Formats: sequence, structure tokens, C-alpha cells
Amino acid sequence: MRVNPNPYPDLLASVAQTQQQVNTDEQEISTGLSVNVPSDDPSAAAGLAVNADQTSQADQFERSIGSVQGEIQSANSTLASVVTALQQATDLGVEGANGTLNSSDRAVIVTQLQGIQSQLLSLANLSYQGNYVFGGTANQIAPYVLDTSSPSGVTYQGNTGVNSITLGTDFSLQTNLPGSELFSASGGNVFQSIQDLITSLQNDTGIGAAVAEVGNASSYISEKQVFYGNASDQLSTQSTYLSTETTQLAQEADTLGEADLTVVISDLTSSQTSLQATLETIGQTAHTNLFQYLK
Amino acid sequence: MSSLNASLYTALSGLNAEQGALAVTTNNVANVNTPGYSRQQAVLVTNEPVEQDPLTLGTGVTLQDIESIRDPILESQIQQQTQSQGQYSTLSSALQQTQVNFTTSTGDIGTAISNFFDSVNQLSANPNDLSVRQGVLTAAGNLATSFNTAANNLTQQQSSLDLSAVQQVVQINQLTQQIAQLNGQVSNLQNVGESAGSFVDQRQQAIDQLSSLVDVTVIPTDGNTLTLTTANGAPLVSGQQSYQLQTQNNSSGLHDIYSQGNDITGEITSGQLGGTLQARDQEIPQIQTQLDTLAAGIANNVNTVQAGGFDLNDVKGTNLFTAPALSGVGAAANLSVAITDPSLIAASSDGSVGSNGNAEALYALNSQTVIAGQTPTDYYSGIVFNVGNSTSNAAAEQSASALVLQQLNDQRSSISGVSLDEEAANMVQYQDAYSASAQVITTINDMMYATIQMTTLTG
Repeated sequence: MRVNPNPYPDLLASVAQTQQQVNTDEQEISTGLSVNVPSDDPSAAAGLAVNADQTSQADQFERSIGSVQGEIQSANSTLASVVTALQQATDLGVEGANGTLNSSDRAVIVTQLQGIQSQLLSLANLSYQGNYVFGGTANQIAPYVLDTSSPSGVTYQGNTGVNSITLGTDFSLQTNLPGSELFSASGGNVFQSIQDLITSLQNDTGIGAAVAEVGNASSYISEKQVFYGNASDQLSTQSTYLSTETTQLAQEADTLGEADLTVVISDLTSSQTSLQATLETIGQTAHTNLFQYLK
Repeated sequence: MSSLNASLYTALSGLNAEQGALAVTTNNVANVNTPGYSRQQAVLVTNEPVEQDPLTLGTGVTLQDIESIRDPILESQIQQQTQSQGQYSTLSSALQQTQVNFTTSTGDIGTAISNFFDSVNQLSANPNDLSVRQGVLTAAGNLATSFNTAANNLTQQQSSLDLSAVQQVVQINQLTQQIAQLNGQVSNLQNVGESAGSFVDQRQQAIDQLSSLVDVTVIPTDGNTLTLTTANGAPLVSGQQSYQLQTQNNSSGLHDIYSQGNDITGEITSGQLGGTLQARDQEIPQIQTQLDTLAAGIANNVNTVQAGGFDLNDVKGTNLFTAPALSGVGAAANLSVAITDPSLIAASSDGSVGSNGNAEALYALNSQTVIAGQTPTDYYSGIVFNVGNSTSNAAAEQSASALVLQQLNDQRSSISGVSLDEEAANMVQYQDAYSASAQVITTINDMMYATIQMTTLTG
């Protein structure tokens, strides 16, 4: 059989192919990625697009948690202060119920209670970064204003709106309770109870019942404080979960698209050896034919 | 009895034949690197013997023919493979450029989608914060830009492919003209019984080049001419007549290809032109349609949600993105943000500035199957997969056909390639034979001289 007298195209094709492999390996080493363009591995590239989105979402959820956490913690501690203030009011009420006190003694207590009343008003009008926390979704106006015509002494200007925010895949958290469910709720109206205690002391009648009413309001707020405590706990748990998820996503991205440097470098070495061998072959096969031996 | 004169002519025929054979070798050596050249062989035949009872005497040798060594079946396989090679290498390099738009990077559409929805999530946490709202508008603007950039890149690529198609048609026309001419030269020579080897080689070389451009079918006809058509039968060359392909602008501003007044654009499936048209008319439009679906889907859904909420002024939301055309065509190229005032984003569901209900509804689009039954990101990752898959398939087809073509070319070279060793051996052989014939002539000369001397003596 006649052999192909011109091996150069084959050798050059082989050089080109090896050179291509060397280039690919070098790119993988320099970028650290095995998937640099979608055609390197179409499913992995598609997977990486989803992975990048999930990672970005998880990072954003962390940022959003950071944004709502402060407000929730601040609401939580404010409600604790409300409970403390109501406790002081209860103590003052018990003191005022003592039959040995005269009207001027009770007037002193009333003054103290009025101080607590205005403290409660300021607590209920808590503002966090320019937004009122207990006004429902109407967060640009103070939720409570003094109103002597109102039986409770205040009027609620907020609404009943609540916000929920998505902070994870299938995880959404309610971030606020409106004042109407806290300080002016029918089950434990804080402002009504203080106003009632003040009136009972001024009239020296029904003080015991009024003290009990303040006690009710205090337990009610304590109950509601649990909402913020839970929310705060859930934020911490979710934050921990998100950092685990981020780690997992990073691992998944590694599996999908990270270059295995040990393998790539050994590939590169063998490609380079093969390239060199081919080039040497070309160098040596050249210049030998019968014409040179004819004298 | 043979005469000395007869012997002289016999020896002379040897000189001539070997000289001719040496010329063939010389030509082979000279063309050792000529692309498409098939080695030639001197065909030496014995001359008609003469009968001189009771003997039959040989009358020497003739260089009857100079034969080009080639395998027509192999040539046709090479043409087939050259067509595939042309098609897939063009398609592959086109798609390599296309897929760059879909690599995961800071500017790609996938990242822009993520960033947009991330900004909406941040808005949900701070519904009345103007800087956060501005962030949403910026992210929406970046999203629009990333769609615009990708769509424009695709359109530009499509126009440059269109230009290539037109240029390829010009090349095809030049080659078919050349082949028609060579058909004439081959048939003229062969009709008078002469060897047309080098014209056949040139014609073969032109057909190979043509195969690399378009799916050509070669039909041998009488008189050693070839008829060439496209695979679907559009005539390219018939005898000495070539049929030019024409290009004509269509309604999309691209060129359709016509043969004899018929639009054959859709029928050209292989060769570089086939690959160019496949990229221009199928692959890129498919990606464009998918981008339009995604862009229109996001814009329309966001706008619908916007309309269901309230802005910072307690007014019903207006379009965030300019409404795409109903057909969706051009949605990616034309996507833009319709509002510049961040207070106009309808984050509120109850009209109060602190409400995030509608921001949540906007954010929910991220995980809803709003784009052809998929979430925006899943749909986008589907595009990435499709582009990557088409590109890697084209590249795989290209390297497979390159490998086959290389093997076929090896085979062709082993049949038709010039071997310098072989030519050197032939040269020595022809030279020796020439010297021998020359020696015979000298001897006959001596003999004749002896005969003449003899005559003088007698006279």
C-alpha cells in the first residue's frame, strides 16, 4: 500500500489540537474556573446561573434582615419599657388605694401617673430611622396624640396595616404590630387604663378596679412583646440558616464550575510534553528523501 | 530481417518516451506542494510490432498518456465532508461569539435580574426610603441596559453574518464561473484525446472550495464535463454555463438568496453559507425570541403589579418599564425604565407610605412562574443552556468532521500525493533507460558506419 507522502497536515493538526488544549488548561488555571463560557458545560453553566441568583438572593436576605432587625429589637425593648412603666403605675395605684391617704397625697400620685402617661405616649410614638414603629403602615405621622375629648386621653392616628417581608425561600416574616393591637387594643387598652386609674384616684372611687385594669394592660403588652421577641429570634435563626445556605451554594458552585487545579495542571504538563514531542517529530522527519542520496 | 534503420527508430522511441516520462516526474516534483495537485504517471506502451515472416519485431515504446492518479469516490466523500466542515466551523465560530453574551459576569442579564429583585427586596424592608427606591430604579435601568446590550450584540452579529452570506455568494459565483470555464477546457482537450489532468485538478480544487461554501452536488455528464447543483437542485454549473446566485434584501433588512428567480435561502443547509444562514436565520433569532419573551415577561408583570399598588403620594402605580410591543418583538432591544422619580414606585398596597405589600408582590415575581411557565431566572438559565448546548454541539460536529476530513485527505494524499522518494526512484529509472537507449543509438551508429565503410571498400 502506498503511504501518505505528506504527513505535515496531520502533524500540524495535532499541534493545533494540543495547543488548543494547552490554551484551555491555561485559561482554567488563570481563572480558576472550568466553565468559562456556556459551551464548556451547558448544564453546569445553566446551574451556575441559577446558583448565582440564589447566592445573590441569600446575600440580599441577609441585608434585609439587617435592615429590619434594628426596628424589631427597638420595638421589643420599647414594649419592655412599657411593661415597666405600667408596673410602676400599678405600684402607684396600690399606694393610692391606701385609705390613709388624703386627697393631696393622691394628687401627688396623680401627677406621677400623669408623668407615666406622657412617658407611655412617647414610648408608643417610638420612631426608628424616621419611621414611627407602632402606627401600622402609616409610619410618617405620630400614632398617638393627646386628646382630652377622648375617654383614654389620646387618639390613635395610625392604621391597622402590617408589613411582612420575604427573607428566605418560602420564609416570610411579619415585622410590625400596629398600635391599635398594642396600646389601644380592646383587651388591654394601655392609655384607657392609665386614664381610668388617674380618674379613680382623683374621685377616690374604684381605685382597686382601675389598678386591676392597668395590671391587665401590662400582661397584655407582655404577651404582645413575645411577638417581637419571636420575630427577633426568627431573624437570628434565619440569618444562621442563610449563612449555611451561602456556604452550600458556594460549594455547589465549586462543584459545578471550579477548575480542579491538580487535574488541570497535570493535563497541562502532559499536553506540553505531547506538543514538544510532536514538534520534535516534525523537526526530525524533515529533510529526508531519496533525492539527497543521489550523487 | 530487421533493418538498422528500424532499430535506430526503436531506440529513438525509447529516448523520446523516457524523456517524456522524465518530464512527468519533473512536473510532479515541481508540484509537490501545489494544493489539489494529483500526481501524474507516465503511461508507457509498446508500439505496434511489425511482422516480417516468420518474425514479429517490436518497434519500441510510446508515451501514450499522462495519467492523473485520483479516486473519484474519495473526492466525492471529501466534498461531502468539506461541506459539513464549512457549515459547522462557521456555525461554531458564530455561536462562540453569541455565547459571550451569556457568561456569568457582572453585566449579564442573569446578574441584572438578580440585582433588580434584590433591590426590590431591600425596598420591601425600607418601603419609604428614597435612596432605596432610587436603588430600585438604578437596578431596573441596569436590567434594561443588559437586555439592550445583549439584543444589540445579537442584531449586530446578525448583520455581520448577513454581510458574510453576501460575500460567500460572491465567492460561490466566482467559483462556479471558474468551474464552467474549466469544464470547457477539460472537454476540449479530452475531445481531441489529450490528457486534461491539470485542468481536472484545478476544477477539483475549485469544487473543493465551492463545497466548503455551499452544499454542492456533482453530477458527471458526457464529454467529461460536470454538472453542479445545490443539494436541493438549484443549478450552479451545467457544462460551460454557470448560473449565478443573486442576493436580495428582504423585509427584515437581511439578504435572501435567489437562484433563477426562486428564493432558495431556506434550502441551503451546509457549507459555510449553510452555517452562516443557520446562525443568522435560526440560532440567533431563536435566542432573540427567548430574550424578548423574558424581557416582555418581566416588564409586563412588573407593570401589572405596579398598577395594583400605590406610590408615595398614595396614587395608583404607573408603568415602571415602558410597555413592550404586544407581540413581544423587540422587547429586549427596547426595554427601558419609564419613570425617573423614585417616589413613583408603587411599594404600598394600602396607600400608606410605610406599607410594603406591593413591594412584596413585586418581589414575589422572582419566584413565580411568570415567563412561559418558568421563573425569570430559570428561564434565563434555560437560555444559557440552549446557547451553550448549540455552541458545544456545533464545536463537536466541527471537530468530528475535521477529523474525518483529515483522514480522507490523508487517504487522498496517499493515492494522489507526490512522493519525492518515488519521483527520485522514477528519475533514476528513466535516466538509466534514456542512457541505455542513447547507448544503443551509438552502437547502431557504429554499425551503420561499419556498413558504410564496407560499401566504400566494395565501391
